[in-house]
Amino acid sequence: MRGSGGEPALSAHELVKHYPGGRNRPAVRALRGVSLDVRAGETYGIVGESGCGKSTLARLLVGLEPPTSGSVEIGGQPVDVGPKVDRRALARRIQLVFQDPFSSLDPRLRVEQALAEVLQVHGLHVERRDARVAELLDMVALGRRFADRYPHELSGGQAQRVAIARALAAEPQVLVLDEPTSALDVSVRAEIMNLLVRIQDELGLSYLFISHDLSMVRHISDDIAVMYLGLVVEAGRFDQVLDSPLHPYTRALADAVPVPDPEVEEARRDSSAPTAHSVFVEPAQGCPYSPRCPLVEPICREIAPVLLGTGDGHVVSCHVASRDFGAKLSA
Amino acid sequence: MSAAELSIRGLRVGIAHRHGVDEIVRGVDLEVASGEKLGVVGESGSGKTLTMLSVLQLLPSPLAVLGGQVLLDGEDLMHADERRLRAVRGGEVAMVYQDPMSSLNPLLRVGTQIVEALRAHGVPVEAARARTREVLGQVGLPQPERIESSFPHELSGGMLQRVMIAMALSTSPKVLIADEPTTALDVTIQQQILDLVSALQAETSMAVIWVTHDLGVVARLVDRVAVMYAGRVVEQAPTRKLFARPTHPYTAALLASLPGPEIGHRKPLHQIGGTPPDPAHLSPGCPFRARCPYAIGRCAVEEPGLIDRGSGSVAACWREPELWES
Repeated sequence: MRGSGGEPALSAHELVKHYPGGRNRPAVRALRGVSLDVRAGETYGIVGESGCGKSTLARLLVGLEPPTSGSVEIGGQPVDVGPKVDRRALARRIQLVFQDPFSSLDPRLRVEQALAEVLQVHGLHVERRDARVAELLDMVALGRRFADRYPHELSGGQAQRVAIARALAAEPQVLVLDEPTSALDVSVRAEIMNLLVRIQDELGLSYLFISHDLSMVRHISDDIAVMYLGLVVEAGRFDQVLDSPLHPYTRALADAVPVPDPEVEEARRDSSAPTAHSVFVEPAQGCPYSPRCPLVEPICREIAPVLLGTGDGHVVSCHVASRDFGAKLSA
Repeated sequence: MSAAELSIRGLRVGIAHRHGVDEIVRGVDLEVASGEKLGVVGESGSGKTLTMLSVLQLLPSPLAVLGGQVLLDGEDLMHADERRLRAVRGGEVAMVYQDPMSSLNPLLRVGTQIVEALRAHGVPVEAARARTREVLGQVGLPQPERIESSFPHELSGGMLQRVMIAMALSTSPKVLIADEPTTALDVTIQQQILDLVSALQAETSMAVIWVTHDLGVVARLVDRVAVMYAGRVVEQAPTRKLFARPTHPYTAALLASLPGPEIGHRKPLHQIGGTPPDPAHLSPGCPFRARCPYAIGRCAVEEPGLIDRGSGSVAACWREPELWES
């Protein structure tokens, strides 16, 4: 275990984000109370589909948008992510890496300028800025020859390395990685994943790794949370959540992801478990997943479940799963 | 496989300019039979999309077909006139693209657009309306009447992609070409679309070409896979065979790079290294040789054609897999 225990590197408490509606635009409750602890030196994976609030969560944590309510702590100290956020101070502690590296790099800046800019903004390594830029390039395994390239002269994988180096330049404790490999070609994804694991081990960084790609999340994450309609519906150690999922949504999600193994796929086709076959509908009350849920019971349409633990750190918000699990424990 | 519904032979696509020709698709042969699902896998720049666009002569200028044949049930589409092509496009051969939003007219109701497409293929208006409602129901859209009268912006990405598939299927095409149709969608929606295409295909026995970079989708959906690299097909095999015993080092490397149960948690994934070459500016020899761990002297001089590897597999590699490590 790499995690050192002690204070979590990043904690979110009951984060809520509502976007008010307008003319012809309904109000959106993007996050409805999300809490999580990222252990120091570990990776916390977040999975979920579009609209589950995972990218909103990322934006709130790095201060790009203020939450409607809730609080954030980094390294055990409260940080202000509200409307008066000190972004520069926050940027020294937590950095965000986006899905599309090209849209996060200034097309007019050479790689070395893009990195030097971060050092300049934060007044870092004033005496040895060039040397530091070279170190950062080394860290992401990009040769010195890339220093004077413009973003359009880079491949997708190279540009993502620059984006990661740029995030590291501010020397944060936490990296929020929002779909960092999704825009890349298959043959490049492995490189970026290996790089992220190596950097984490070398620098002792903590990651919040957001992706819809369950195999990548599983590969890198120590803990995993599954989000649905602005809520965490299941969380625990990676193998608890993905190998013994309790929430019917986690199971539907795991089943829906095609596995690159025709024999597994054939077996699945034959067993064909009931899957969630309808679009997102937000119910007025009860469990947000109830309209899609194959296990739905009357209580699910009445009362929203809360996250309940199974005793070993695995939590799930599902009336049916909690009851069945409780029965199994007492049996 | 004599009953090929669609057969692409020696297709070459490129840009002609003053100093010569930049060839990007460099001689592609593909066949799909009625009732068969063929997967075409490749990374960006491998030529998979250009190959598909060439089938219906939809290449954007200055790209042009430089040579080869596209045979639809034996008829050479390369020599078809514009009128015949219009009948084939969206008629006998339908295409679905990655981004449904950009394939639909934002100013017209969804139903109107499907009716219009059917009318263009000579279906009388009443029959076209009935057919529209029918196909919208077939693709699993709830309340087809409501969908019909919606504008594209009122529907989600998954619903729009189902609308596109409904439109593609409305003329009962012999061949459906789908180019990364589920890449932008959530996995549960993707699952619905894959299930749907499988079910409809079993009913109608159309031929399906599914272009993707997702090897999981390939494993789930298709019968046979063609892997493209640098403008050519480098391996083609029945799906199970391809995954169990890849016979091209590129395919083997792609499969090895995926995280999976046999790779330990957080253990290094297999990296291919290097970057794909620009097919328009290749040096002699095999285009994969610079990234290939098994390259030998011959690979630098002579580009291999597709060589039979048994059990329905072909691979463009000089070396038999048994000898790779030696």
